[in-house]
Parts: sequence; C-alpha cells; structure tokens
Amino acid sequence: MNCRECTEHLYEYLDRELTSDVEQEIRQHLADCPPCGEHFDFEKLFLDFLRARCRAHGAPPELKRKILRDLFGA
Amino acid sequence: MPPPPPPPPRPAETPQPAESVLAEAEKRASFEREALTHLDSLYRVALRLTGNAAEADDLVQETMLKAYRAWHQFEKGSNAKGWLLTILRHAFINEYRRRIRHPETVDLDAIEPFSVFADVQDEDPQGTFFDRIVDDEVLRAIDQLPEQFRETVVLSDVEGLSYDEIARILEVPVGTVKSRLFRARRMLQGKLYDYAVGMGYIKGTPK
Repeated sequence: MNCRECTEHLYEYLDRELTSDVEQEIRQHLADCPPCGEHFDFEKLFLDFLRARCRAHGAPPELKRKILRDLFGA
Repeated sequence: MPPPPPPPPRPAETPQPAESVLAEAEKRASFEREALTHLDSLYRVALRLTGNAAEADDLVQETMLKAYRAWHQFEKGSNAKGWLLTILRHAFINEYRRRIRHPETVDLDAIEPFSVFADVQDEDPQGTFFDRIVDDEVLRAIDQLPEQFRETVVLSDVEGLSYDEIARILEVPVGTVKSRLFRARRMLQGKLYDYAVGMGYIKGTPK
C-alpha cells in the first residue's frame, strides 16, 4: 500500500469502517511511514476533539417533562 | 324539510378491559425504555438541524409524538435510535426546513477539500491549538456547514453512528456518506483553523 492509497482510507480507518485485512495493511503502512503516521494521528486528535466538544450537551430537563406530559398526560 | 334528527347519544365510555390497560402500560414502558433513552441524541441532532433551541424543542416533541403513535410499527429490538432519527429528519424536512433555513444552492462537489494538516505540520503537528477552542465555537462552525454536510457530521461525530446507519437515515448510498463526511470534516477543520489563527492560537495563514 502506498501513501496515496493509505490516505484515501483515512477516515474509514479512523471510523473503524474497514475490513480487518485492509485495516491491517494500513496499520502496517503507518508503522513504516512516519509522515502518514503523523497525519493520521493529527486527524484522530481532531475527531476526538470534535466529539468531546459536541457530545457533552443533552436535552433540557424541561423538554423530557413536556414530552411525558404530551404522551401520557402525567 | 325538517332538520335531521340529532345523532343518538354515544354510549358512555365503557371501562377499558384489564387487558388493554395492561397493553397500554406495556407500550408505555417499552417506549420509555427504548425510545425516550435517546432523547439527548434527538435533541442534539434537532438543535444542529434547526439552529435554535425553541425549534429543536418543538421538533423533538413532534418526533416523540409521531414515534409513540407508530410504536407498534417499530420492530422491537432493532435500532431505535436510527428509527427515531429517521422520523425526526422527515419531520424536519417536511415542516421546518422551509421555514427556518433556505434550501442550499451551493455545489457541494465544487468545494475543494483543504488539508489543515499540510499547513500546521511544521508548527503544531499535534494539533494542540484545537484544545483552546471552546464548545460554542465548534458548534457555531458546525452550524455554518451546508446542510448535507452538517447532518452527516452530526450523525457521525456527534452521535457516533456507523456509515451504514447514516446512509439509511439520510437515504443515500454509503459512498455518498463517505464523501460528504470527508468534505464536511475538512471544511470544519478549515473553519476552526481560521478561527484559531484569528484568535492567535496558532500563527498559520487563514484561507
């Protein structure tokens, strides 16, 4: 696998969407190619950052009460 | 002509037989267990789709009402979150989108994905500048994405759904999910990078 092929699978790899064969090939390439390794690490950090920033917020408690009232009249 | 006679009075409502009371209680319990547990997810997606809290509230309420009415159609044990998000998205498209946001006219394929990494690899290859960007700024950047990108990124990065689940909810091929996700994430990175440069978190050169 060369750098271009590896980069084409960047997000599929980070999202764990590849078959284990392809995943293994990429892992091997990343181990052998520091620039690709660095690039993948950067993208992984970005995705982790994005998730951490966005997943913290939930529905306001009042909304759940409204819905329960709507549905069950309680 | 004499007016028609008034309809006969409806018989007083008979008390529900124990069986249907039980069925209703079971329906409620299974709905609370399998559907209401996804309230936070529905709200987060609704908030990003509508762009405001009051509309997000209404959209989620309506989704839950529709879902409860159709609960008998939901295949128990299958993916309730995906099912609910599909209902939410349809409700959004049919009733909210036209009112809230204007349909997009941008050619998404013409957007050239830009690699932030190429720009920062010498100065900050670990991307530590991201750590200084607060939640609100990230959410604002997501809200600025074109709708098709925004919904894809929200389902993937905010809600953690698989490509396959996203494809089913958005009713597009998996390949489309992949390409939208790629472009959406790169666009988002670019926006956050520009913001970080503007704030002086990193030297760089804003695009």
